[in-house]
Amino acid sequence: MASSSCNSFSEPAIMEQIITEFFTKSVHIILESRSPYVSSRNYSGEQFISSPSPSSSSSSSSVRPRHQWFNLALGDCPAALENFDLWRQSNLEPLVIDVVLIRRPSRQHHDSKSEKIVERWIIQYESRSNGSVTRESCPGAKKSSGGNSQSSELSAMYKKTYKKSIIMLRSLYAMVKLLPAYKVFRDLNSSGQIRPLSLSHRISSFAEPFTREEEAEMNQFGFTPVDTPCGRLTLSVSYLMKLDDIRSETSTPLPTQVIPDYVGSPTTDPLKRFHSLPSSLPAYASFSRRHSWSNDHGATPVSQSPSPTYSNACVFRANPNSRVPPHNHLRDNAPSACSVPNNASTVHRKKIQALMNIGLHLHCHPQLPLALQCNFAMIINIMPFCAQRVHQSIFPYPGMGRIICKTRACPSPSKAKCVKPGCSPRVDIAKTHISTSSAAHTSSPECKLQAKKELFRMGDMHTDIMLHKALYLGKDETGSLSGLKISSCTSPRLQISRSSSRLSFLDEFDDSEFPCPFAVDEDIIDSCNSFAVTLSSFHIKHFLLTMSLSNEVSVQWSYEIHDQWPQYKSLQQRNFSSMFHQNRIEPLDRQGQTADYLETTGLVTARKSQEAAVSAIVKMLKNAPPLRPEPSMQLSSHVIRDETRTSSMEQNTVAEVMASPGSSASVAGMTTSEFIRSRTVADAFEELRGFKERKELLLRRIGSQISESPSKDS
Amino acid sequence: MNCEVCQLKELVVEPFEIREVLRCILHTIVFHRALGLVRPKDVDSELFEITYVQCGDAELEKKIEEKIDHFIGWVDKHPNRKSQVCLSFYEVKSKQPTWFSNKIERLHWEEWYVNLHVVNSKGHGKFRQNKAAVDHGENSVEERSSRRAVLETSLRDVLFQIIKFVNERKDHIPQVSNSEVISFPYEITIPSSSDSSFGWHTDMFKRMLQTGHPNMLS
Repeated sequence: MASSSCNSFSEPAIMEQIITEFFTKSVHIILESRSPYVSSRNYSGEQFISSPSPSSSSSSSSVRPRHQWFNLALGDCPAALENFDLWRQSNLEPLVIDVVLIRRPSRQHHDSKSEKIVERWIIQYESRSNGSVTRESCPGAKKSSGGNSQSSELSAMYKKTYKKSIIMLRSLYAMVKLLPAYKVFRDLNSSGQIRPLSLSHRISSFAEPFTREEEAEMNQFGFTPVDTPCGRLTLSVSYLMKLDDIRSETSTPLPTQVIPDYVGSPTTDPLKRFHSLPSSLPAYASFSRRHSWSNDHGATPVSQSPSPTYSNACVFRANPNSRVPPHNHLRDNAPSACSVPNNASTVHRKKIQALMNIGLHLHCHPQLPLALQCNFAMIINIMPFCAQRVHQSIFPYPGMGRIICKTRACPSPSKAKCVKPGCSPRVDIAKTHISTSSAAHTSSPECKLQAKKELFRMGDMHTDIMLHKALYLGKDETGSLSGLKISSCTSPRLQISRSSSRLSFLDEFDDSEFPCPFAVDEDIIDSCNSFAVTLSSFHIKHFLLTMSLSNEVSVQWSYEIHDQWPQYKSLQQRNFSSMFHQNRIEPLDRQGQTADYLETTGLVTARKSQEAAVSAIVKMLKNAPPLRPEPSMQLSSHVIRDETRTSSMEQNTVAEVMASPGSSASVAGMTTSEFIRSRTVADAFEELRGFKERKELLLRRIGSQISESPSKDS
Repeated sequence: MNCEVCQLKELVVEPFEIREVLRCILHTIVFHRALGLVRPKDVDSELFEITYVQCGDAELEKKIEEKIDHFIGWVDKHPNRKSQVCLSFYEVKSKQPTWFSNKIERLHWEEWYVNLHVVNSKGHGKFRQNKAAVDHGENSVEERSSRRAVLETSLRDVLFQIIKFVNERKDHIPQVSNSEVISFPYEITIPSSSDSSFGWHTDMFKRMLQTGHPNMLS
């Protein structure tokens, strides 16, 4: 216990520390629920407490003490807070966090970007020297008897202050979830939809005064100040109560088949609810963002940046020193504002962002070429809309083959170089591929049609919050393709913090030329239609691909990439993910009642009960695809589904599932209840083991660049 | 001993809403009184657009669920009433034994009263209040959803009320003497046990009450 004496101008050291940590914790709590990439919503409490950070060994020693401040264990310390410590100079400065709702200019109206402050949090330490604290509240300073009694008094005071600040932070935590902005945050964060809105925040040490109208709209809430020996801690919030009109605009008119809240939403994540499962289940235990957060944290300079988007911004600045903005003004999470030069045109900015998205994706997984292939498949392969070829065409098509080979040929250390050469021809490849594949592929007449007039439109790059990229399109004239969505969820932060070679790769794009075709040449993109790609950022990276073919078939296919994780975890997770999403495959109702349909399926049920959750896992496992096309696996995975398929779909890879309308009933009827009875967790473990083996097999094969089809597996 | 009492605003609920309402409220309260190392768990209410916080303590969750079950059971038998659920925190002090008590005394330092007015919208037509409504259970969809919205707003208000209260009253909280997540002993009382004997020879009162009329409320 520090026994430094308390005069009216300085707190004892221990109190100073409490105050400092109080600021940090408050910011953490607020940003965690307002700034998407900082969120820790996806972990469960038990997981943390019973098995503290099973995988975050790298961060546990340095970060965990911080977790425990105020007995409130939040997610891993967000990178924003590391900056925050550097940035913050004195506890005497107030801390103002403005939560800003940004409406991007809509395509139709081309109106200017509008920002609105929806919340303002002010955290402040008022020293008694300010005259704002009465003497009574500062007993430690009032009495100056013997040193012993003073120090014990201080000790008591310290405990009291600490306890009260615990409660204050608890109530802050609860409050943050209750305010309307939290709903917006959740909506933006949990769904893969493209939204015209985003949340951002500004941290500064002064509050720009509100206008009168603004002030009139705002509600106020002042937390009761906590007294410290020589001052007090105050916390208050002004917030807009009415966000409803704003919220109503948050959805963009995506095709109706795109399922909202599809990926990444904690509420739709059945694994989250599996509290009854043994935590030793590897895939489950590691199914949290924590891992991705902690891995390689701090390994590279950019990893300190407050958010992935910000990280990207830093990369583009190519100036590590700019990480801490001068003038005590930290603006983050608004790449549209900070990631590109101010004079950049909107188009250019979009290009950059698209490049960031795709470039990072392309580059992110040298050891798991499959993942890369998925990326490519997503971008290129989907165009023909031949679902069953999504996977396979990775190899057969010359264009694709080239890309993939280049990527795969590169040993990991030189990956920066290997992707880059692949980069420049890519547009051509993509184009070629469209024509080639459409000509070559005849599984569906629509495909040909489609490919001919494939129009690409690079849609809203909604990077502020989701780091989304969207290419979307309406319907083609035949109406055969009613919707397609690819959602790639990634954690850019991870990618950024990988290695120097990665950085050099990024740096190479720092010039304004951007030779990479995936810088989304809008000419090309605008010329494509009926094609939607959403790249969004979530804690866990995965792709989700939803296709519908002729209104009869809907395919969703997904992969996760965890490039920082141990390999087997990655693979298992990918399996999990794909299973998970496959589980949700629904034949699209001709009337487009997908949403209703979804409601009735097992996944929704899985949220409701643990039994159902277990069964959902088992179902996923049973239906899981292998990592590459394997005929035998196809069989086994489809036996359960009792699916019908057309002969033209013989090439089906297991990474996709097609269900004809005829089988829709069986799929729908196949809700969890059947599995509850027939499958157990033990089965799930069995399956997991199988996946592990398969993974190892695959890894070996990847090493030798062989694309032969495996013949074993179950 | 100073016992702070917080009467939460009354909520008009239908039976099926009781569970979610009580979960929101009780967990929120305990979260503010669980001063041990907590890893907060955000829970989205199944019924309302509300996210509340749990401590992630399985035992607590179990206890709350049990009490809610009991309360719902009680409500089944006593429909259309106003009733209270009380969550109280106490300290355990040993005490001079007297002729009728144990040696252990529970000193309550905080009591939270959750006031619920249970209305049965379907069936029990004669008990229905504030409803010009028609036949049993035939409320229009709009009426239902607007009623739900009203309840959601009120529930939110109650949660704000809790936050305000915990902010304003901090001095009466006893010292934390353990490192448990749930720092203080607590109990949840529902009408069937009694509303007047919190922690004080509860057993005896319970015995008396169980033979007599269980409802001391409404």
